Amino acid sequence: MSPLRWLGWVIPRAEREFILGDLEELYGDRPWRLGCEIVRTGSLLRVSRQASLSPLTSHLSPLTRRRSLMSTLSHDVRFALRQLARRPGFSLLAVVTLALGIGATTAIYSVVSPVLFRPLPYPGAERIMTLWERGKDDSESNTGYATFLDIESMSASFESIAAMSSWQPTLQGNGDPERLSGQRVTRGFLSVLGVRPALGRDFSAEENIRGKHFVVILSHGLWQRRFGADPSVLGRQVTFNGIAYTVVGVLPKTFETLLSPGAQIWAPLAYEPSLAWACRTCRHLRAIGRLKEGVTPASAGRELDLISGRLVSEHPTDYSVAGMHLVPLQDRLTRDVRPALLAVLGAVALVLLIACANVSALLLGRAIQREGEFAIRGALGAGKGRVMRLLLTESVLLSLLGGAAGTALAYWGVKGLSALAPAGLPRLSAIGIDGGVLLFTAALSVASGIAFGLVPAFATARPDLFAALRPGGRATGLRSRRLARATLVTGEIALALMLLFGAGLLMRSLHRLLAVDPGFDPAGLLTMEVQTAGPRYQEDDAVRGFFDRASEAVKQIPGVTAAGWTSMLPLGGNFDRYGVRIEGVVLANPANAPSADRYAVTPGYLEAMRIPLQRGRTITAADGTAAPKIVLINQTFAAVAWPNSDPIGAKLQVGGPDRPWWTVVGIMGDVRHTGLDETQAPQIYLPEAQWFSADDAMVLTARTGGDPVQLAGAIRAAIRSVDPTLPILQVATMEEVVSATAQQRRFAFILFEVFAVVALLLAAAGIYGVLSGSVTERTRELGIRSALGASRNGILALVVRQGLTLTLVGLSVGALGSLLLSRFLQRLLFGVGSTDPLTFVGVVAVLMAVALVACWAPAWRATRVSPLEAIRGE
Amino acid sequence: MPFHLGEFEQLVLLSLLRLGREGYGVTVRAELLNHARRDVSLGTVYKTLLRLEDKGLVLAHVGEPTPARGGRRKKHYVVTARGRSALQRSMASLRGLSRGLDPVWGAS
Repeated sequence: MSPLRWLGWVIPRAEREFILGDLEELYGDRPWRLGCEIVRTGSLLRVSRQASLSPLTSHLSPLTRRRSLMSTLSHDVRFALRQLARRPGFSLLAVVTLALGIGATTAIYSVVSPVLFRPLPYPGAERIMTLWERGKDDSESNTGYATFLDIESMSASFESIAAMSSWQPTLQGNGDPERLSGQRVTRGFLSVLGVRPALGRDFSAEENIRGKHFVVILSHGLWQRRFGADPSVLGRQVTFNGIAYTVVGVLPKTFETLLSPGAQIWAPLAYEPSLAWACRTCRHLRAIGRLKEGVTPASAGRELDLISGRLVSEHPTDYSVAGMHLVPLQDRLTRDVRPALLAVLGAVALVLLIACANVSALLLGRAIQREGEFAIRGALGAGKGRVMRLLLTESVLLSLLGGAAGTALAYWGVKGLSALAPAGLPRLSAIGIDGGVLLFTAALSVASGIAFGLVPAFATARPDLFAALRPGGRATGLRSRRLARATLVTGEIALALMLLFGAGLLMRSLHRLLAVDPGFDPAGLLTMEVQTAGPRYQEDDAVRGFFDRASEAVKQIPGVTAAGWTSMLPLGGNFDRYGVRIEGVVLANPANAPSADRYAVTPGYLEAMRIPLQRGRTITAADGTAAPKIVLINQTFAAVAWPNSDPIGAKLQVGGPDRPWWTVVGIMGDVRHTGLDETQAPQIYLPEAQWFSADDAMVLTARTGGDPVQLAGAIRAAIRSVDPTLPILQVATMEEVVSATAQQRRFAFILFEVFAVVALLLAAAGIYGVLSGSVTERTRELGIRSALGASRNGILALVVRQGLTLTLVGLSVGALGSLLLSRFLQRLLFGVGSTDPLTFVGVVAVLMAVALVACWAPAWRATRVSPLEAIRGE
Repeated sequence: MPFHLGEFEQLVLLSLLRLGREGYGVTVRAELLNHARRDVSLGTVYKTLLRLEDKGLVLAHVGEPTPARGGRRKKHYVVTARGRSALQRSMASLRGLSRGLDPVWGAS
């Protein structure tokens, strides 16, 4: 019987079995009645057991000190529960306020903690480092294979190091073709991460040799999804991009692929120093290493700098500066999201503080009403410590209830947060409410209970006995308590201002950011990526033929006004940068040559994107494979490389000294490639047909007259009509692509906005509470005033002035706090200073308006005080 | 010092005596309902049984589980010698005090 199981605990343990048995016998066929009777019986027995202990007197009597701590505690708890139950409205308000604060903090903490505070899910994760070459501007740059080999052989600091590059093979056979995300890695990869295959084995040394490298390791997910979790998959041949690979291993289910999110497949890198793309300047590999036990990152970094110094002196033309960067993997993974997460954590802490201040003010108001009770306790000999403990028990109990409700809130909150989280957020799967988070919430609840309970406890514990016990009298003249309440509300306003200011700055940044001209017109554009793969696309002509026919088919669709392919999409997260040599310009160190984003595009792309042509001409169908090689540059490139001359007609070499020369025929407008907030880099556009090899994956951009989503199906069908077997990926409108780049700021902004609104409401409730409390206390005074001829407006002004004084003090404190705190937002801001006066004025105006509204109701009530009643009523 | 029994304690003890070996929560409650017209909750019965047990007036022993009770065991109560004499004392004092009151009741 299910109600018995979880209700049973209300019955004292000694009799539980027998009583439950009896009740089952009596009401077994009526579950609802049974549940009621269980509760009824339990409470009856529990109450009767303690009846002899008389909790009321035990609190009043100094003899209680003889009781053990636990028994007093349990009395205090029971007494506090009754106190709370006696005023359900008050308790509910306090619990809801706390639940908001604690719940929000718990939700944010559960998102932030696995990302920032908990170690990565690899054994000895703190020893895993990322290795970077130092770039010209001290940036962290990828490394070339030759450099990697030198570091591997010369360094003594690492147990193992590995290089990796990304790999997107298309899995064929065994179901629909599917493009997978994966990595090509050198042999040390799994040992650096400290991971072993759950099934099969790691790559062998031999398999890193070119020609013997057609082996793969699968992720657990891929193994389950595509291979039915069949252990006999080991040794089986699987076709990727038309080539047969042998499966040698499957990674454990728990393996998290943080280095390449979404990766499902790994194959050997299999580079040889003689390969053209294994050179020192071919910096496209990422390197990781596991430090030996006892080696510090600092000493390993010094060793790498020494090695790098030697390499630079041996190969001076291959490096622009000496030195390397060694960054712990965890720091590197979390670096981009850290500012947003810390800012949000700070914001939620402010919300919690405001909630605490609010409840503190509530309790204080309540304590004033209970003055008589405390005075009697004091008169009967209860010490100050005893009364404080009673009050603190009440507040901690309140906050624990708030914490429990908050945990429920957080549970829903976390789901929302995971959906809202910026794309780059690592360890998304580890986010959730777990034991650690619950422990945090419990600690937080107790801490905040003590924090907000201390003020009322101090202010109340020793009231003026004589004044308080006088019939009808109040312990007047307790200025400390009034001051305490004023301070709490002032603090709330200050904290609310800080939050609002942060939210305001973020909102302005977001607007500024989205107002940045990306250099193309995103409205009405649809984009999708198509990957060619398989034996039919071994030849470049076949690949190019497919893309040409596909774009012709797309252009035939009614509603499509322009369409073209590009090797990479601006703001699409790809990165393809080449060193560019300009004819006639001799550099002392070729490594210092300018580098440019390379777009290989088909005719129609620039028109579809509406990238403005500044001068010269764009790419046409006439610029085919056999035609003279032409290139377009963007205006930044033109301004940087040809400050005083005309770039049209100049010649460029892209990618290396052995490459052909390309003639500049046009200058295009700048396009934001990596982000709306990044500085503009040089860019070049080449006719795809003229590049020395065909790009096997291209992105289609199609301009439509109306809503691009409407045409998505037709465009897909057009591509499928050319070849139905190729995977079509990442279908998105260009507007979605653009707005995704602002995701991190939007994440921080939405949360700030929510928190700021909560803070505003709580602060308003605080002002209202203090003022209406004060109006009640001053009823007599106000009555006398109006009896003596004070006008309604005069009394209204009196109360409003009191509220506005509090607000103004709070605002000035908050202004200082805002100046200090907004500096931490700096990295999230764009186009506004962290002390932006306009934002500040706006936020202050909002707060003032809300404060006025909160003042109004108590003030209006004050004008309604009847002089006769006020004086007689005392 | 002998115990003074409360009225409800007397009723429960009397019920247990009537029930013999069959006295436990459910039957005591039924006995009170059927013969004393007292509809009380099981909790009230147990409260009194536990108090009587504390005073040594009844003795509890644990019986066998039955399916009707969801496999739970019964706690049977029997009246101890002390319980019996305490009950007799109360009954005697009741009788002593009520002797000669028939005319009063008759008049009312």
